[in-house]
Amino acid sequence: MAVGFAVLLTVGCGQGPQAQFSVRDTTEELLSPAQKAVKKALDDGFGTPHELVAWQRLPVNYGGVHGAVGEVLADGKGITAKWEGDAAGVTAGAPLLWISGARAAESTSVDSVGSFDAKTKTLTWSGAAEPAPAAGDKLVIGFGQTLKTGRMVYMKNCMHCHGVAGDGAGPTAKYLNPLPRDYRSGVFKFTSTLTPEKPTRDDLTRVVKYGIPGTYMPSFLWLGGKETESVVEYVRWLSMRGEFEKRLDDDLSGDFSQKAIEESAEKALAEFKAAKADEKPEKPRSAGDLKKEAVAKFTNETDGYEKTEFPGVIDDTANFLAQGWTHGEDPESLILPSVPRVPDDAASRERGRRMYLSDKGKCYTCHGIQGRGDGAATEDFWKKPGSDEVYERRGLHDAWGHPLMPRNLTLGQYRGGRRPLDVFRRIYAGIKGTPMPGFGRTALKDEEIWDVVNFVMSLQYQSAPAPAKPAEHVAESK
Amino acid sequence: MNDSVAIVDGGFQVSVKASAVGRFWAAFFFLTAVIAVGISWVSPSMGWWFPGDGVAHSKLGREIDDLFHLILVIVSVTFIGTQVALGYVLWRGATIKPEEKALFSHGSHTLEVIWTIVPSGILLFIALYQMEVWAQYRMIKSSPKSTEPIAEVTARQFEWRIRYPARGKVLKADPQPDDVYTVNELHVPTGRSVSISLKTEDVQHSFFVPELRVKQDAVPGNTIPVWFTVTDPRMYEMVCAELCGWGHYKMKARVFAESDEDFDAWKARIAAEQFEDGFKKAAEAE
Repeated sequence: MAVGFAVLLTVGCGQGPQAQFSVRDTTEELLSPAQKAVKKALDDGFGTPHELVAWQRLPVNYGGVHGAVGEVLADGKGITAKWEGDAAGVTAGAPLLWISGARAAESTSVDSVGSFDAKTKTLTWSGAAEPAPAAGDKLVIGFGQTLKTGRMVYMKNCMHCHGVAGDGAGPTAKYLNPLPRDYRSGVFKFTSTLTPEKPTRDDLTRVVKYGIPGTYMPSFLWLGGKETESVVEYVRWLSMRGEFEKRLDDDLSGDFSQKAIEESAEKALAEFKAAKADEKPEKPRSAGDLKKEAVAKFTNETDGYEKTEFPGVIDDTANFLAQGWTHGEDPESLILPSVPRVPDDAASRERGRRMYLSDKGKCYTCHGIQGRGDGAATEDFWKKPGSDEVYERRGLHDAWGHPLMPRNLTLGQYRGGRRPLDVFRRIYAGIKGTPMPGFGRTALKDEEIWDVVNFVMSLQYQSAPAPAKPAEHVAESK
Repeated sequence: MNDSVAIVDGGFQVSVKASAVGRFWAAFFFLTAVIAVGISWVSPSMGWWFPGDGVAHSKLGREIDDLFHLILVIVSVTFIGTQVALGYVLWRGATIKPEEKALFSHGSHTLEVIWTIVPSGILLFIALYQMEVWAQYRMIKSSPKSTEPIAEVTARQFEWRIRYPARGKVLKADPQPDDVYTVNELHVPTGRSVSISLKTEDVQHSFFVPELRVKQDAVPGNTIPVWFTVTDPRMYEMVCAELCGWGHYKMKARVFAESDEDFDAWKARIAAEQFEDGFKKAAEAE
């Protein structure tokens, strides 16, 4: 009985399943050698949730204390030198990464801090004695600390919705509407950057700190500075990992996707069957044959794709990601209005209202004539991007394929922030991953955008409009 | 010496091992009480007492603490008295000599009357004595006349969204264009009575600031005023005290109690941030 009770008490305890990065469907659809190659590239570049790999080619701040070797002291107790850098964060056992000097070239040596005297700033480390470091050699102590902290914070607070790999499919995700963001395409909705650019660290930090009203993303204001910074870095890293996988899949799925090969074989067979007997077309080859051929083309020892092209693809993808995320942080990617906010008066709002209802702005087509998010576009069947198929449901969809309602502007709920600057940016650059287009630079002048901002932000405070004939409003603007 | 005694009860003979076992239980129950009193006695010095520094930081909170202490004294005296009596009776029963005659007090009218009237008197006293504090805490009529509504606090799964009137304006029930907003951060002035309008967007939540001794459920469909006078300008933890869903633990917020000047300066700053149009920044960047 006592044993039974003890068993009952511990039901559900113990180790859960090990956390794993989920694999994209498009990766699963690849031929097995191509699938293996993608998984290996991911493992090499990013590791697993338990053994993270800090790929230095990516613009992620992996963390650690940067410094340099000062005077090298030889006192017979291992290698000792003066440390020129911040003393905080240097602890015994912390891994040591050489950035320049003779030891940096020796990639095999794994060094760690043996002891550190904060008063005299004397550092002793363990590792091979040769090659000896010289004064001025640069190194990082505790490299990867930020990523590790980020993982801890992420697993505790974010994973259950956003998933281990940032695929937006954590265990609680299915209960939510709207669904949690899938970071793996590298697209974030509420940013301060131009349309094609990545978000900045500040953008992600704002979302973590203040949450997104109207969604299940709560505010994590009191997470603490270091934790917030680390989790933002971790999310950037996850997003890069996801986009890396996506881009490799995109590259390979043309020639090496099982699904594509099967589909084309089926199509050819159907055509063959439909053809008249007297045309005598050649019998198409079976999917099995085509697959074998594709596998051979991928794995060939001498001129196989894996040997010849794929390393270059990995290289280019890493470069592409590094450039994209670095450029996102560039001040020139940031949207800042060229004129101050146009005074928020009746005249400006009226201009904004006319713009809202005009063919230039066309805001009403989605957001509705009264701004209630019930425009005509919500009643249409829309085509899926890059195909002739239409979505099953009426209304707009986002880049993740989920149904999306245009914002009801009369609620005063601002998902991307309620500063006039935030609303300006939404109109200027649109909302990434959604049908909301950007109007800045081309369609509207900054002054005109401010008029629309003033109009939109006033909608919440208008008394309920009388059930008038909505057609009148359209007529007025023409 | 005879170590067992036969008791005739309703015609059945029950044999009771009187000495060792009886003494053990007498000692056990007595010691339990002693340990309970001991732990309670050292609690304040071990930090197992009131939250924070152990002192209420609101005017009404101090009175609530005084009530708590009064009740604590009453129950302590009662507890110690009854435990000593229980210990004595058990010990006496365990060590009773076979030739001694037991005293039967069951059905004593006088005793029944005493232990009905005494606790009733105590309860009645507590009920009447706390009335004033309760009224000040919960009844609008008894709230301080000068109470100023400073914010609307809306709980939702899983955060607190807070709306303040603009500087120098009065809080309106409906949002105003110049209102300022914060999330998970409630700023209040100290030294005077202020109130918040508590709402919830979804399920039940509970607004709880332990160090101010303020706790009030947020009920869907209701706007509930909660008033308090914070005595010390400081930061206080604010949590949700009603299990509201799987993210209940995330509803951690802070109350910043500030002097009137600081409160005003903060509001000016937050309003400037909220109406930021980004143009000045653009000018600075160039």
